Amino acid sequence: MKDLATANLDHMTPAQFEEYLPELFEAGGGKISEDPRFTNFFKANPDCAALVSDLETIAEHARSLFDPTHDPSDSVWSNIASKLKDEPPPHKES
Amino acid sequence: MQTKPNPGFFKRNPPIAGEAEAIERAKNGDADAFAKLYALHKRRVYTLCLRMLGNVSEAEDMTQDAFLHLFRKLGSFRGESAFSTWLHRLTVNLVLMHLRKKGLQLVSLEETINPSEDDAPKRDFGSRDTMLAGSVDRVTLERAVASLPPGYRMVFVLHDVEGFEHNEIATMLECSTGNSKSQLHKARLKLRELLRQQQDLPPVEGLKEVAR
Repeated sequence: MKDLATANLDHMTPAQFEEYLPELFEAGGGKISEDPRFTNFFKANPDCAALVSDLETIAEHARSLFDPTHDPSDSVWSNIASKLKDEPPPHKES
Repeated sequence: MQTKPNPGFFKRNPPIAGEAEAIERAKNGDADAFAKLYALHKRRVYTLCLRMLGNVSEAEDMTQDAFLHLFRKLGSFRGESAFSTWLHRLTVNLVLMHLRKKGLQLVSLEETINPSEDDAPKRDFGSRDTMLAGSVDRVTLERAVASLPPGYRMVFVLHDVEGFEHNEIATMLECSTGNSKSQLHKARLKLRELLRQQQDLPPVEGLKEVAR
């Protein structure tokens, strides 16, 4: 992975841009697709703009998976409850 | 001495009404209070196990183990992070231990859980005529995530879904933070590929929606 501070943003190749992407996404602070530093680059490289837009869509939708919608079967709790009968009470740390 | 909680931990995991009281009662061995903690957290723990393991039976076994482990460890919970964050970290560690026992070596992410050439994302930018915005929904993304190679799926679920930081993932997976970042990027590229061919995605075992 490369450090964006050393990059020449207006004269990158698409391959070079992709090398910076993990750091760019990690840096956060807004959408890369709306970052004015890349306006010229995206105009010249619409495939890179499409890639960034898709990756932003994926990251956004991933957050929607955080809310769980799936339940374990009832037997899971039955097994836990039955095993807890043999367990000593939780050890309290001071 | 009680450590002051870090408010940052509570952004995605706000305290749940009645949870703090249930924790204290469960620490004193109150079975009903522990049942309440199970009821409050079973969905998220199970869904996390299912996403990481991709198998209903294993996910149910790990959910069971996670809550039994929780019962034994509850006394050490001091409220320094949100309870659910703490429980999820405990669950992730158990799942990873389970995977290691099964022979999936997670010690070196690059060498051992990197996918084969076929599974790796293709090194091209793809056509821009089929952009994903508007064509991705929760169910489709869930199916695509389930189709990811295990190493990619693990990092994607931990970072993009569960909200763990790369340094935490690196500790859990025993790899470098750079490695975690690079795996995440490859996972997203692979997901893009899968989502562009979403008609080929298989259904996901056990991910049936519950009534809300």
